[in-house]
Amino acid sequence: MRNRKRTGWHRFINGVNISTFLVALFIGLPLYWLIASSFKTPVNIGVDPPQYFPDPLSLSNYKSAFVDYDFGIYFRNSLIVTLIATALVLFLGTLAGYALGRLPMRGKFPMLVALLMISVFPEIALIAPLYILLEHLHWLDSFQALIIPYTAFNLPFAIWILRNYMLGIPKEMEETGRIDGASPLRTVWSIILPQALPGIFTAGIFCFTACWTEFLMALTFNSSNSFRTIPVGVSLFGTIDITPFAQIFAAAVIATVPIGILVFIFRKFVISGLTSGAVKG
Amino acid sequence: MTTISSAAEQPTAAVVAPPAGRPDVNRKKLARLGWLFSAPALIFVAAVTIFPILYSIVMSLRNVQVSGGGIKMTGITGANYSAVIHSSVWRYALGFTILYTVVTVLVELVLGTVIALVLERLTAGRGWMMALLLIPWSMITVINAEVWAYIYQPTYGVLQAIFQAVGLGHPDVLGTPTPAIIGMMVADIWKTTPFVAIIVLAGLVMLPGDVYEAAEIDGASGWYTFWHVTLPLLRPTLALAVMFRVLQAFGLFDLPFVLTNGGPGTSTTSLAVLGYQAMFKNLDFGGGAAVASTTALLVLIGCLISLRTFRVQVGKENT
Repeated sequence: MRNRKRTGWHRFINGVNISTFLVALFIGLPLYWLIASSFKTPVNIGVDPPQYFPDPLSLSNYKSAFVDYDFGIYFRNSLIVTLIATALVLFLGTLAGYALGRLPMRGKFPMLVALLMISVFPEIALIAPLYILLEHLHWLDSFQALIIPYTAFNLPFAIWILRNYMLGIPKEMEETGRIDGASPLRTVWSIILPQALPGIFTAGIFCFTACWTEFLMALTFNSSNSFRTIPVGVSLFGTIDITPFAQIFAAAVIATVPIGILVFIFRKFVISGLTSGAVKG
Repeated sequence: MTTISSAAEQPTAAVVAPPAGRPDVNRKKLARLGWLFSAPALIFVAAVTIFPILYSIVMSLRNVQVSGGGIKMTGITGANYSAVIHSSVWRYALGFTILYTVVTVLVELVLGTVIALVLERLTAGRGWMMALLLIPWSMITVINAEVWAYIYQPTYGVLQAIFQAVGLGHPDVLGTPTPAIIGMMVADIWKTTPFVAIIVLAGLVMLPGDVYEAAEIDGASGWYTFWHVTLPLLRPTLALAVMFRVLQAFGLFDLPFVLTNGGPGTSTTSLAVLGYQAMFKNLDFGGGAAVASTTALLVLIGCLISLRTFRVQVGKENT
């Protein structure tokens, strides 16, 4: 085979790079459109043909999202609900994952399969009974109205991930603890937990993403403005006639930043979670 | 190798070996500890999911009246189900949901596999591409919907501007039934293809290299190798990706709710949108529960069928 040395930018022209570029374009263009449009003035966002580069660059939408559309409230609510639910999931999930992964319990396998089934159950099937239950408890329009179902819905997947990580920890480690006479909880805390940290990150980032983006339950259970989360708040911006895209996109950019940073930092764990088998979108 | 668990067959006794002397006592103690540790999580999950599922089934079989004081249930009836099955809206929603699921999952699977094959050959910048792929995955679906609503906007959206520039007129994507369905599928494909690509890429990376060497020595073409070596080896990975995607697509709610509110007419009304509207717009909790229960049943059947078809045994080694 003739080995022709290509020089300059020509050596970057090959099938793989061109295809990669096309993929990046396919994913990147709508993202660019979202970010660019968030800087358009409310007038310029509705011109035809559209402005491909916002001119002038305006920050007024970002201010307006908070001042005119209560985005601050939604952001706070999303943060509270997501953080508490994620903490609960990780606490309960680590204990259960440890038990189901490492302790000799009878009948734990059917339990794990049942958990898997629950984790893929369509939300719509549970909305009505949960709504009625929350109404009885006078818990509609509250943080717990979302924290409780979010915790329950994300626990099964977290338990699976954590259990799989727990299985990989060498058994000698906890035996050392047992011989030293440490209590079971102490063994989990000081010996198992540090080893299972990658699993905890993975479960955590999945739970955070799921809670941050959840829409159907947030829409049905919390109808009052002061308890709406970001997805519900953003979907209800504006009136039936006017969709204030400029403010929506400003809010969208702010809503995407925290999760974007988290996913970027923990991308190794996200990918390992996606590929540990229990795949969930 | 992508199975739900790779170590399930390991005898549990080996995981925690009881010290010599009093093995039985210790084992029992550890088992009790196990239930103690897992009980909070299991009870929590059961209380918030299994109980409501059963309640939902009960509700779907009774006459439900919603009044100011709450809901009242009387008698036992199959009326909710027969009303659902005989309703043309439900039948349409079922057909639409199945069509939507089949098309989006197929396209995402093919595109995702192609992207994964490309990225596997990428020498520089793969990490950055992975980071880019993760953004749509982590994005709020409602926000994804708003971006596409702006793109499809009939008077100042970028799509109609492009169409106009090349002389194809003004499409009102979300205002016309078939384009609305296609437009929604595109939004879904944009958000979820990267997710499929990541899973497939991870599966590709884990494939054993010697098989490829053997294929190369045998003089197999690239296409032949892909079709007869790569694809069969990837099957467990693809099967699980497909299963979870199918289940997720079947619950389609956020996109139609924001993009079209089920319209124009009922052309993008999915089963979940129909169930939601029955319950929270028409306050027909019995009918809504019947829609929800049938959806859940279909999901369960689909889940079992796909598990069988792909011969994936949950929790068992399968490579």
